[in-house]
Amino acid sequence: MAHISRRDVLTTGSALALTALGTRNAFAREVTPRQKELYEFAKKEGEVTWYTAHSNDTTAQALGRDFEAAFPGIKANVVRTTAQVAYQRLTQEQRANAMQVDVFSSTDIGHYVALKEKSLLEKYIPDNAGKLIEVYKNYDPDGYFTVTSAGLIGIGYNTEKLKEADAPKNWSDLTDPKWKDKIALGHPGFSGYVGTWVVTLKKLYGWDFFEKLAKNNPQIGRSINDTVTMLNAGERIVAGSGPNGTAMESAAKGNPLAMIYPVDGSVLIIAPTGIPKGVKHPNAAKLFVEYLLTVEASQIWVEHFNESMRPEVKALNGAKSAADVKTIRPSVEEITKGIPEVIKQWRDTFGV
Amino acid sequence: MTAAADHLSAAAPPRRFRLADPSMILWIAMIAILIFLIASPMVRLVVSSFQDPETGRLTWANYIEAYGRARHLQALWNTLVFGAGVAVLACLFGVPLAWAISRTDMPAKTFVRLMVFGAFIIPPYLGAIGWILLAGPNAGWLNKLWIALTGADHGIFNVYSMTGLIVVVAVTSFPYVFVFTSSALDLVSSEMEDAANILGAGTLRTTFRVTLPLVLPAIVGGLIISFLEAIALFGAPALIALPARFQVVSTQLWQFFEYPVRVEQAAAYAMPLLLITIFMFWVQRTVLGRRGYTTVSGKGGERRITRLGSWRWVMLGYALFVCALAVFLPMLVLTQAAFAKAWGRGFSIGNLSLQNFRYLLFEQTQAQQAIVNTFVYSGITAFAAIGLSLAIAYVVARKLVPWSNVLAFLCMAPFVIPGIVLAIGFYAAYAPPPLALYGTGTILVLAYVTRFLPIAYTSSAAGMRSVNPEMEEAVRILGGGRLTAIRRVLAPLLKRNLAGAWILVFIPAARELSSAIFLVGPNTRVISVMLFDLSEEGNFEVLAALGIILLVVTLVIAAIGFKAIGRDFMVRSS
Repeated sequence: MAHISRRDVLTTGSALALTALGTRNAFAREVTPRQKELYEFAKKEGEVTWYTAHSNDTTAQALGRDFEAAFPGIKANVVRTTAQVAYQRLTQEQRANAMQVDVFSSTDIGHYVALKEKSLLEKYIPDNAGKLIEVYKNYDPDGYFTVTSAGLIGIGYNTEKLKEADAPKNWSDLTDPKWKDKIALGHPGFSGYVGTWVVTLKKLYGWDFFEKLAKNNPQIGRSINDTVTMLNAGERIVAGSGPNGTAMESAAKGNPLAMIYPVDGSVLIIAPTGIPKGVKHPNAAKLFVEYLLTVEASQIWVEHFNESMRPEVKALNGAKSAADVKTIRPSVEEITKGIPEVIKQWRDTFGV
Repeated sequence: MTAAADHLSAAAPPRRFRLADPSMILWIAMIAILIFLIASPMVRLVVSSFQDPETGRLTWANYIEAYGRARHLQALWNTLVFGAGVAVLACLFGVPLAWAISRTDMPAKTFVRLMVFGAFIIPPYLGAIGWILLAGPNAGWLNKLWIALTGADHGIFNVYSMTGLIVVVAVTSFPYVFVFTSSALDLVSSEMEDAANILGAGTLRTTFRVTLPLVLPAIVGGLIISFLEAIALFGAPALIALPARFQVVSTQLWQFFEYPVRVEQAAAYAMPLLLITIFMFWVQRTVLGRRGYTTVSGKGGERRITRLGSWRWVMLGYALFVCALAVFLPMLVLTQAAFAKAWGRGFSIGNLSLQNFRYLLFEQTQAQQAIVNTFVYSGITAFAAIGLSLAIAYVVARKLVPWSNVLAFLCMAPFVIPGIVLAIGFYAAYAPPPLALYGTGTILVLAYVTRFLPIAYTSSAAGMRSVNPEMEEAVRILGGGRLTAIRRVLAPLLKRNLAGAWILVFIPAARELSSAIFLVGPNTRVISVMLFDLSEEGNFEVLAALGIILLVVTLVIAAIGFKAIGRDFMVRSS
């Protein structure tokens, strides 16, 4: 595993230099016999199309490029969008019976439950699924979807405009009138991260929390990542739904950002991947799912401050991982039922 | 031409019966294409709005669902306010500029005209991003400037508001009013104005009582177009209305495509847009069309320039103010963002970077393809729309088939179909099997051709009217078929005209978002849709860089066109 030590050296450098690192050491990768076999078939298919809401565009593109480096001859079309938009496209394609997507990665686990119920997912248990960190294993024992990414939501703030001591410590602090016109949020109707966050906070504090939050006139973007832009610009000071990964990555580039890990717990997002029925490149799709669970993919996740899926890969120096902080998350059932419901409530409360 | 003459004399003798003409097959094909492009998706849309999605039975349920919520009705009202605001503001911007350029001695006319063209090229959603960077309530440049100058604790502009949305869209749509008004002004002869002058009216009085009323139909036409453009927009409202916490019809329509996809409800909810648009055109045709302004004839009379004296500097100031809102300011901040590591850090050498361009062109897996797709699709669209419209204009002008006016009507019909509504119709009609066009480049090109057919047709029909039928009759007497006549006589005569039309179709096709957003697949993404996806996560630096690429390529292509056909084509051909 010589490449890991090389990686370790690199990770002490700046994150910027790392993201610029395009090609990776392909021969040192762990490639299972299954992957080799899949690769042979996948080469004939030539490409794979990945709809992903797991990360921001930069991270998703880095994964796509690394996959292409590992498996030459297969083009990875990476389409990064928000969870609900990705799902909208998927259902539109299924309705039109014209599948474009091969691998579907959403941050709303409810999507997979719904797709599985309608028999719209291909069964596939990746070899690498058994090598994951324990908490991410066996989300679907039937093998229709596999957890491939995880991330934390906390409270972000602009360090130029706010001292750490004055920043909100807990979720309920966000309803304090002193944050009027200062909060940025994502939208559950677009983002799966935000959807899960809303479900979790509704469970903690009731819908009343959001009624009060609405009085603070938050600025509502679409993706959860939009809140980070608003902090960087100084347009808003507090990210009520702050994506840990994007915020830390942006801070590493020198932006005035920091994260609060709320006393009640950061919201842990568990995001799966599945292969829809009837895809055009089924072998490439399976190979890609295997890839997402490799050590190499986890290293890319970690470089971009998302959670590692593999025990071999640790968080970067200074970054906190889900193992280091208190986390909260709703059950799969609560998410599945909850998100469609809170989207409606959200629209009635916030008007959009 | 000797080869042509040989060819002609060798051909069969002239035919007497129209039906026997082999080109007849082509005309029938044209009709079939129009039905395919326009009638079928629209019928499909209307029918599906009354259908139960599961059983296909007729029902009112979609309408009840679509209009049963106060939120949805509010969005409808917001759309009307938005459209009306844009239309009025676009006139306040466009009419004075058109008058100044066409009829006064204002300095720097060429420059102002070029800037108006610049405003036409900038897509509304890109302008909206520029204005978010300029007038974000806390971090916008104008607000920062205001705070720095006055020491106030907050800014004075808020782009995230209805007013903000109206201004942002008006500065991108005033060129329609400008083009309509100035082409009409160019046709008003000075005789009427002279009469008023002789009777003692001053310059101002003459302008307001004589000149402007004469071009009123053109102004109202421009007003209606900006209203319709505005209510059909998707990108700019999604960027501004959402954070401002209000919805318009187009953003609400988008929600019907969320899971579970409710195309039928979307169809029902799209009907008011369609009805409003049809109503607007009816108003224009019956109320304004009936009043005969024979003075606006295009013939005879000379047009004199009004001398403004020192007021011409005031006029220039106003023109530059409008250009600043529409072009200078947004382009300045977009360029800064495109070359910045972080746009919030402002102008400084240390903040300069080519990284955003490098990322797009070499690291992003979709951008290269999106750039190629955009220009290939718009190029094909422009050729196809012009080819089709020229053929149809010919059929209509020569009355080759009975009811040929129906064809003209069909060609103009997409004018009344907002892009987003058209896309829903196309999706319903052609995405599923048997055609199964979802995710293909074909469905995009077809939708674009339909969407911009009226522009192409207007140009083609105008050109056709300008050509005396005798010239092609000569060909036919010599034994050439109609197709030969078109190829050898009409097409060369109309070349300049058609090249202008090509650019007029190409530019809006290259920037089209509203219809593309529902129809693209991962391999058929175009720049506009990619810009929209990037805007979603607030990735403004990369987004600005991609926007600059779109503008630069469009400008290069337009510049080639300008060289070929002369700079003032925009005014002449529309």
